[in-house]
Amino acid sequence: MNRRVTRAALVASIVRKDFREFSRDTLYIFLSVLGLVFFALTYYLVPDTVDETITLGIHQTGLDELVEEFQTGADAADGLDVVSLDTADHLAAAVAGDLAVYETDAGDVVLVGAGAEAEAPAGATRRDVTVGISFPDRFVASMVDGERPTVTVYTGTAVPPEVAGAMTSFVREIAYSLTGHELPVAEPDAVVLGPDRAGDQVSLRDRLRPMLVFFVLMIETFALSSLIASEVLNRTVTAVLVTPARVGDFLAAKTIYGTILTGGQALILLVVLRTLTTASAGPLLVTVLLGAVMFTGIAMITGSAGKDFIGTLFYNMIFILPLLIPTFSVLFPGTAAPWVQVMPSYPIIDALTRVTTYGAGWSEVTGSLLLALGWVAVIYAGGLLVLRRRVQRL
Amino acid sequence: MRATKGTTMTGPAISVSGLRFTYGALEAVKGISFDVAPGEILGFLGPNGAGKSTTIKMLTGQLRPSGGGARVLGIDVSTDDPELQARIGVCFEEKNLYLNMSAKENLEFFASLYGIKDPDADGVLRRVGLADRASDRVKTFSKGMRQRMMISRAFINSPDVLFLDEPTDGLDPATAAAIRTTIQEEADRGVAVLLTTHDMFEADQLSDRVAFLNAGEIVALDTPENLKLRYGSRSVKVRLREGDGIREETWPLDDAAAATRLGALMTSPDLLTMHTEEATLEHIFIRLTGRGLAG
Repeated sequence: MNRRVTRAALVASIVRKDFREFSRDTLYIFLSVLGLVFFALTYYLVPDTVDETITLGIHQTGLDELVEEFQTGADAADGLDVVSLDTADHLAAAVAGDLAVYETDAGDVVLVGAGAEAEAPAGATRRDVTVGISFPDRFVASMVDGERPTVTVYTGTAVPPEVAGAMTSFVREIAYSLTGHELPVAEPDAVVLGPDRAGDQVSLRDRLRPMLVFFVLMIETFALSSLIASEVLNRTVTAVLVTPARVGDFLAAKTIYGTILTGGQALILLVVLRTLTTASAGPLLVTVLLGAVMFTGIAMITGSAGKDFIGTLFYNMIFILPLLIPTFSVLFPGTAAPWVQVMPSYPIIDALTRVTTYGAGWSEVTGSLLLALGWVAVIYAGGLLVLRRRVQRL
Repeated sequence: MRATKGTTMTGPAISVSGLRFTYGALEAVKGISFDVAPGEILGFLGPNGAGKSTTIKMLTGQLRPSGGGARVLGIDVSTDDPELQARIGVCFEEKNLYLNMSAKENLEFFASLYGIKDPDADGVLRRVGLADRASDRVKTFSKGMRQRMMISRAFINSPDVLFLDEPTDGLDPATAAAIRTTIQEEADRGVAVLLTTHDMFEADQLSDRVAFLNAGEIVALDTPENLKLRYGSRSVKVRLREGDGIREETWPLDDAAAATRLGALMTSPDLLTMHTEEATLEHIFIRLTGRGLAG
């Protein structure tokens, strides 16, 4: 019998078989569906709005004029709200969350014990005091006498340290002002480098989006590496390779299967998150494709290395956990540390963030995509090499 | 050779000449030579590590020979020609089946790798007695059923050469007999079979010829009958009643005096049993190599 079968047909047969096997594995189907549902729910459950206002609590005696000046300034500026409290202890308790602070329409401040919010006056607005400044009695007089009074700055645990630092500088500036001195520098002129997002801050939901997409890519790596490990450990690949199929066909099939499995689910999530728009489709598809191929390469390595399910899981953890580190940079905006920026997953996360969060186009993500392409080439080539050697040594 | 029906090939189906393979410094196969004709079953016997699997891997294109040459169906095994794999069937010792797929899906998948559009999976499964389990996942199969699946997979492309590695290992006698019958049927339609086994009974029953492989070398290659004749003792053992006890006598067949004595014993009322002392293949292997097949 003399039949000819094309390489494409061989690869297609193996890919079909892989999907059939995947569809029969209840655990991985469950994890895939659960992952998609969980990530979509997470996305829609986190807040879509941003409250960037900092409520500053002040305790003072004899500085009413100063507080009034603050409040007038705060009313004019975005992001600062000032509440005056009568004692330093109340201020500390309010910042610590032991007291709830309410402000009536008449401007009166009412304090209620935490957990007893029902006792708050009707119609009063709650003020979450996250930062407080307590000026000591005779603050001005002490300064005039040349003493060095102590001003206490209270900050809650959730307040970034830079805010506490800013408050300290703020107090120092007040002291200069009250003693009739001018600061030895001109008022700093703040220049925003890059898009100025004042008043247009990114919500937690938007920040989560690239992270969730990356998580989906990662989860499917487990399914793919498990399938590869199963082929190697059960030696079904040996049975395939005594047919007209060659190692190259096997590797090509695993690449296609892995890319469709991981990339496909990431795209489904992007659609569910209503992120895949006409404008973003091009850069997003390329980014997801690069991510899918990268994780396929990793699955080839981990699937070849594992001696059983636990071993495969272990090797997946070793590879994947470090790659997750750059995803947290999207939750904590700012420049990522240099060592984070050189990680293989960073350019993919960066491109995903720029496109999904800030609506970046090709020109803004080309650099990241080129860097990602370099990493993907290295990791995928490594995966091919490791899996080829493993299969040939069976 | 029992039959050569259904084949148009005139030369040997497998032709091996001075085949060698080395793993680093270890020479696993040391220049072996043999032929297998269409329709012939060659039993490949040897202990673990003798070089059987390495030889089969070279002949099926999984390993490239370090030296010498081999042709299967006229195709040089070192050329990586997929035509070779298209025309052979391999049954591995390990049951490397896709467990989450049904019996029929397994066969259809492998058939697709041979470019067979409409494989007769049901017909093949019927031959090995699994037609009623065609839609069941292989993971629900017993060991014997999985072994029959392995055989059926080797048949799916109607191969001209079969490589069978321990095809009845660990099976119950009835299943083993059924598989042997199927193998014999393949040989009867002209398929050349290279059979590796530890089972001397199976080798004796199925093989047209057997090759004894030891430490990478073929130490004997002939029909089972010829090996027994060559290496057996050609003697007759008789058991005679003697008073209340039993006495045994052994007489060499080549001795003229033995003929007279045996003729007399044939009519003696004291004769209980008479057996030729034919050597088994295992005895011959031990005699030739100084070691058993199990090792």
